[in-house]
Amino acid sequence: MSIYSLLVSARAGGRLAAASLLALLAVSCTPGHPGTVPDESTHAHGATEVDLMNQDSTYIGEQACAECHEHAREHASMGKHLKVFRSNPSTPAQTEMCEACHGPGSKHAEDSLNRSLIIGYTRDWGTPIAVQNAQCQTCHTGGGQMHWTSSAHDRAGVACSDCHNPMMKNSVNGALVRSSVSETCYTCHQQQRAEFHKRSHMPLPEGKMTCVDCHNPHGSTTRPLLKGDSVNDLCYDCHAEKRGPFIWEHAPVRENCSNCHLPHGSNNDKLLAAPRPWLCQQCHDASIGHPGQLFNNSQTAASALIGGTQSARIIGRSCQNCHTQVHGSNHPSGARFQR
Amino acid sequence: MKPWRKTLVLCVTAAAAQMIAAQVRADSAAGVGENLGNALNPGGLRTIPERDPDSLDAWPDERTPTGKLLGWPDKLPETSRTQDGWEYHGQVEIGGMATGGNTDSAWFRRYKDLPTSGLYLNNFSVQAEQLEKGKGYFLEALGGGIGYRDQYEGVSFGRYNDWKVDLFYNETPHVFTNRYRSLWSGVGSSHLRLNGLPPGGVGIRNADGTMNATASQTATVAGMRSAIEAVEDSELSLVRETGGVSIDKYLSSKWRLIASYSREHRDGSRPFGAVFGGGGGGGSLEIPESIDYDTHDILAMLRYDDGTNSFNLQTNVSLFRNNIDTLTFENPIYASTNTISATAPNVLDPTIFTSGRYDLYPDNDFYNVKAEYARSMPEWYHSRLTATVSLSRMKQNDDLIPPTAHALSGLEINGVSAENNWNTTSALSRRRAGAEIDTRLFDVAFSMRPTDKLGLDTKIRYYETDNKTDYVACNPLTGQLGRLLNDGSGGAFAFPNTAAGNNPAGTLGSAYDAMGCNLNAVRALGLVPSSGASNIRNVPYEYSKTNIELGGEYRLARGQTISGRIEREQYEREHRERDSTWEDMLRIGYLNRAYQWGTLRASAEFGRRRGDSYNPDPYESFYSVSLGPEPTADGTNLFSWIHAMRSFRKFDLSDRDRLALDLRLDLIARHDLDIGFSGQYRQNRFPNSDFGRKDDQRVGTASLDVNWQPSAKLGLYGYYSYQRSTMTQSSIQPNGCVIGNYYYFYSDGAVASGSDPVAPARSGASLVDTVLVTSGNWHNQCGDHAQTSPLWTESRKWTLDYEDTNHALGIGGRYDLGFARLELDYSYVTGTSTLDYSYNANGLGLSSAVTELAGSGMPDSDYDQHILSLDLVFPISKSVALRAIYRYEQGSIDDWHYAGVSDNPVPTDSGSQAVYLDSGTQDYHDNSVGLLVQVNF
Repeated sequence: MSIYSLLVSARAGGRLAAASLLALLAVSCTPGHPGTVPDESTHAHGATEVDLMNQDSTYIGEQACAECHEHAREHASMGKHLKVFRSNPSTPAQTEMCEACHGPGSKHAEDSLNRSLIIGYTRDWGTPIAVQNAQCQTCHTGGGQMHWTSSAHDRAGVACSDCHNPMMKNSVNGALVRSSVSETCYTCHQQQRAEFHKRSHMPLPEGKMTCVDCHNPHGSTTRPLLKGDSVNDLCYDCHAEKRGPFIWEHAPVRENCSNCHLPHGSNNDKLLAAPRPWLCQQCHDASIGHPGQLFNNSQTAASALIGGTQSARIIGRSCQNCHTQVHGSNHPSGARFQR
Repeated sequence: MKPWRKTLVLCVTAAAAQMIAAQVRADSAAGVGENLGNALNPGGLRTIPERDPDSLDAWPDERTPTGKLLGWPDKLPETSRTQDGWEYHGQVEIGGMATGGNTDSAWFRRYKDLPTSGLYLNNFSVQAEQLEKGKGYFLEALGGGIGYRDQYEGVSFGRYNDWKVDLFYNETPHVFTNRYRSLWSGVGSSHLRLNGLPPGGVGIRNADGTMNATASQTATVAGMRSAIEAVEDSELSLVRETGGVSIDKYLSSKWRLIASYSREHRDGSRPFGAVFGGGGGGGSLEIPESIDYDTHDILAMLRYDDGTNSFNLQTNVSLFRNNIDTLTFENPIYASTNTISATAPNVLDPTIFTSGRYDLYPDNDFYNVKAEYARSMPEWYHSRLTATVSLSRMKQNDDLIPPTAHALSGLEINGVSAENNWNTTSALSRRRAGAEIDTRLFDVAFSMRPTDKLGLDTKIRYYETDNKTDYVACNPLTGQLGRLLNDGSGGAFAFPNTAAGNNPAGTLGSAYDAMGCNLNAVRALGLVPSSGASNIRNVPYEYSKTNIELGGEYRLARGQTISGRIEREQYEREHRERDSTWEDMLRIGYLNRAYQWGTLRASAEFGRRRGDSYNPDPYESFYSVSLGPEPTADGTNLFSWIHAMRSFRKFDLSDRDRLALDLRLDLIARHDLDIGFSGQYRQNRFPNSDFGRKDDQRVGTASLDVNWQPSAKLGLYGYYSYQRSTMTQSSIQPNGCVIGNYYYFYSDGAVASGSDPVAPARSGASLVDTVLVTSGNWHNQCGDHAQTSPLWTESRKWTLDYEDTNHALGIGGRYDLGFARLELDYSYVTGTSTLDYSYNANGLGLSSAVTELAGSGMPDSDYDQHILSLDLVFPISKSVALRAIYRYEQGSIDDWHYAGVSDNPVPTDSGSQAVYLDSGTQDYHDNSVGLLVQVNF
């Protein structure tokens, strides 16, 4: 018998959303609202507050779990966790199969609806996030997860199981909750999804990059979870030619690529933060020559056909028609990045 | 085929043939991952699978802790088992695909490569394992787009919890334009040769043997226009081909060794530019840059973890190699030269500048060693300490190239013969670049949980760059300080000012040269330089950044926390307008996941950046202005001594007040329906910037997500995002500041100058003021903007308002019809960029005709793109299905940068020519259809 059929009655009716966003916000500003915070005395999930580590529950083995969760086991068996545990466990805990992650199950087997008796990784089960994450960290600590504690995601109360679901094989890699890294990240980062569809963007929609090419969602030494020591160190991984150093450097370029480029997407060519030439003119206003000039619509190639005067600072690649080596030049004449 | 590639191909082929194997996973902490996928398989594998109606035996609409539906899992694959215990399954999808429409469109093909017609192996995957206890061997493979420029393949094999080897190969196309009209052959090589056009342009002489510039330019332009008319559009693109191997070995239950090597080869070309002459340019043209790069990345990591202590030691080497060190291109334009002149009785014939030469990106090496340590101390308030040290060095020591390849026979620069003085590396102060920047990172973080409800953490981070590059722009052969520009067609040199009164009578223009590139000796001469704006040495920019954070969170109730954080970020910079800037930040956050109906996350962050005094010109020692005293003679234009307006602020250094608001609401609307709402608002206020980026820069985004998963048969989703951003900047179009000149300011904003103290009358305007620039007052008169500043006249100010508006919409879903499975995805994105400017036409001296054309802004730049993807899978048997694919894409774009370029690629008839060969992105629509056979085994 499916466990669903045992439990579904308790959830009859499902849940309805609050009437409107405003109402939700109003309610949310009232911590501890009796109607919204789970009542530990009545809410089915409340008892999960019990410290799971102090139970006297014991391991009962995979077959016992399968008594009720056979189909779940079949799905989980397609993922890496059970394959590893089954074939070559490296710790005593891993030999416990399902219970390696969910904790010892004897008490749960006796009282399967008591949510305090086993660790669950879903919202409904209600195991505290700290308990869930700590359980994952019994294996997944150090290495790439070394900086998880106090990272942006940790501070935001993100659970490992917000992104990962070892029970289903949704993704080729990473036991993700969605089919790809990017789709998983988009579940919260909708703004970035929109930006990746802009006119110029990194090739995420085309499947050639994912968010984790640049970010370590498990934490890093940088605030935006970058995989490099700095923005530039990261960008040089793919744009190694721009690493140089060069004999002629461009100060904002050397310091931070994102001074000029929006990393996720832009309405401008080359992921630029503003259209050229005005992007360049946000810093350049020299007293001599053209940097401070007002460039305008009389200077396009189209306007030149009707009486205007073309300007190489407006047309095509704009400033980079001449200052081509804007990322730095190694040419002895290249101080203005023209060679 | 190169040996390494052959090896990879063999590995992949063998794996596929044996129906076993592959995936490659990027480590989440180090290096750039290679995501194996393409547009049709963005997650690596997209097969339109059947969903499992039995779900997981638990509730079918389970959610993540935040409240997102986990959805319906794919139906379990049928696996086969060999006699020796290997279980395997896999699939392959192959058939015919065709694409019609604007199949050459660069926009359509930017990062993907769909077949125009033909056989197409869309994807394959194989997974095999021996899972008996004590074994754990596995072999996996996947791939897609085989043979196309976005193909990917990966093989992974090893033993779980013991060792693993990954091999991968991945191609990423990048199409820049398909509307490039090339005048050269040899695109992609180190030498671009003109097809038919005369290098150097057409030279026409007058009867006396001097050059007739106008006739020469007119003839040259006519020839180029004809040539451009005659050539077809072509594509400039490159492909990244990346292959690699990694080995992951558990040395024990605590120690782990990871090593990887990857090589990326980039091959192709992209739009580039070249200019002749100097200063504002004596002719520009778009040339194609040839790309032939190799990047080798080697990574080795040793990891230790015993549950209490964790330690990572990592070393990374990245070697970039440019197989095209220099790019020589034949020049079709008749250049307008400056600085260089003919030694009598010779004549300067600009057609000698038959070619230009670029020193392309040099080879460079990067080395990094990183050590990380973490210790958990659960017995001491559940505390944890993390420390990181990372030391890097990036360097390049490329052979420098001579300033020009031309002999410059019969020519001179400021009276010094240029002949054979600039076409060898003897003309350089050093033969090799010797450029190096070291970086150092030290990071210590500590967190603790003194009570069950309270968490505290602190962090100190220090990062610095140390630039050791040193280059002096001086020619030891002639002693001339400065640079020969653009292959000799121009120059920017420092020599003594020969205007009477600035230097002692009889001062020779070559006086600096005699000091043999000794800057101190030159300075000791005490001679006023000819100009203050010539670069005489490189600027070794470097900085350090220190972050100190203190934060904490407090649990209000079950599922509810508030958090707070303060941080100071301090920069110390060398050779920038500010030595020091600091930003103080405060962040507060609120999380409530206790609602039955969802999760709320909200945060606000405030930042206040300030700094020490702003020096608008910190670069004096790197320019000729540092070579001698300030000029005093009448007639000297001081604009090259005043490099920047005192009130101008560069946005990366200016005072800034920052506000960031984030709100995310994940609603559980029904047991099978999620609704997500998020909003982000960013505001950067530049309170002390009158010029440069100023006022408020804002970005606001609102998004709505809907995900409905009622059954294994049906699932629908939708999203919509709206984003609007605004930015304002101002500047002043500089005028002039000549000692001894009178500047007349009129009521309509016009400004004029002359030597007469009495201002000329101006029709329709009255005189407001007259200012005389003297050697004693120019710092005050010309240093900053004012109504009566000769250089930065307020009436010559222009202000620009920039606004971006974007909408992104996506809808789609899946439905199992029984006889077929349907998946549909549709996305629509549109963006509009509005750019308005305001100015005083009188102040800028614009004619009415120009003013009319200039208007009050540029035409809107806008684009929209629709992508519709429809898949139908018809199961034929347990192991065979037919998949029909239909994909429609349509894009339209208007970008004023390219307005009229196609019809008017050489807009000027004479004078300095400008040649535009890339007509920009075009509208497109394409239909792709495919009929593929899916075979599962």
